[in-house]
Amino acid sequence: MTKLLLSLHVLAAIIAIGPVTVAASMFPAVARRSGVGERLHLLHRICRVYGVVGVAVPVFGLATANSLGVLGDAWLLTSMALTAAAALILGLLIIPGQTRALAGQTVTRLGMVTGVFNLLWATVTVLMIVRPGSTTGA
Amino acid sequence: MRAAAWVELVSLSILLINMYTVHIDAITSTCGPVHGCAYLIVVILTLNRTTLPVRTRLLALIPGVGGVLVLRRIS
Repeated sequence: MTKLLLSLHVLAAIIAIGPVTVAASMFPAVARRSGVGERLHLLHRICRVYGVVGVAVPVFGLATANSLGVLGDAWLLTSMALTAAAALILGLLIIPGQTRALAGQTVTRLGMVTGVFNLLWATVTVLMIVRPGSTTGA
Repeated sequence: MRAAAWVELVSLSILLINMYTVHIDAITSTCGPVHGCAYLIVVILTLNRTTLPVRTRLLALIPGVGGVLVLRRIS
């Protein structure tokens, strides 16, 4: 059962978080280059929809961790905190920032915030692979 | 939203029926996260709709039937 949960967790991470990181990074550049248009709306939609689908990642992650019995491990707790930070950045800064940009307002630091968001995910991914302090192997 | 609301209700029903009857571990550990996802998606989608009245948006927080109740109010 752990294998099924882990597969769903990784699948959700690839399918949901991947598009959000790419679309969010492209958004400021496209906004600068071609202004508000169909492409910008599409990028925003990808971020919004896949961001919600991304809820599956921590949920299945928690289920996997529970069945593995590693819920209290430091690497996992750190990952959870970083994931929560990334989710807050996406929900409170990136998506509202994009909405404002689409409404024609000037938005500052959207690129920087998106960069931090991507960096957080990269850190979580590395933590998931390296698992410092874990005894279950590399 | 419609799909998430029904998944929320159906998965919770399966979980509860399983708990009171056969208690198969596989069903618990797959339906549990599915229900969790559906619940959170319903809550996020409903709370995001600022045009809805506050009472309707808070309905989504009710576990299991929240999504379906919100759908009934919207339609």
